[in-house]
Amino acid sequence: MVRRQLRENSLPFLFVVGLVGWIVPGGGYFLLKETKRALIICATIVLMFGVGVYIGSIGVIDPIGARLWYIVQLMNSPFVATIGRLTAGGGYPVFGRQNEMGQIYTSISGLLNLLCIVNSVYLAYVRKAEPGER
Amino acid sequence: MLDFASCVMAGFTAPEEIGTTAQSLLLLLPVVASIAIVYKATKVPRVSACNFIKESVLLFGSIVIFMVITALVLSAVAWLVTG
Repeated sequence: MVRRQLRENSLPFLFVVGLVGWIVPGGGYFLLKETKRALIICATIVLMFGVGVYIGSIGVIDPIGARLWYIVQLMNSPFVATIGRLTAGGGYPVFGRQNEMGQIYTSISGLLNLLCIVNSVYLAYVRKAEPGER
Repeated sequence: MLDFASCVMAGFTAPEEIGTTAQSLLLLLPVVASIAIVYKATKVPRVSACNFIKESVLLFGSIVIFMVITALVLSAVAWLVTG
């Protein structure tokens, strides 16, 4: 009974942890006071995304021509949508290997951020359900 | 300052030149390093510099070695089939 109440009460917090983790990579861990973990994750994901965009230009974020890749890239942060708006008009064309590498880099960083979001929410859940354990 | 910012931003609006050479396969390494670092950052119970670096390097090495072995096996299969 107590456990169920804890679970119900922690739902908004879990949502906030997930949301912050999406807005800023590693932000979920920061809320859980895992500062080192948060900094490592933030630096790695932002750097990887930056390298991908540098290799292929912002044209690799293509909400029209590469919709599936774009959905995965959105996992990095909702701010990716801002870049998507810029490139939606087709003003930054990119083809071939540059496009491929840029999409791989930016999409893998998005998937890694998704892993971190899920993991931070799970960590928050475990801490709420069993406060004495960690 | 504004010129510098414009220069930096301009670097992100045109793609870099990457050839289809064997060296371009080295672009795999930063991806593997990032995967190893982020995965280990989510998995280690306590983040301490020494332990974290050791774990990440081990994972990075294992992924690279596994990929090299896979590439060798695939090359051998291709050589058997076409040779």
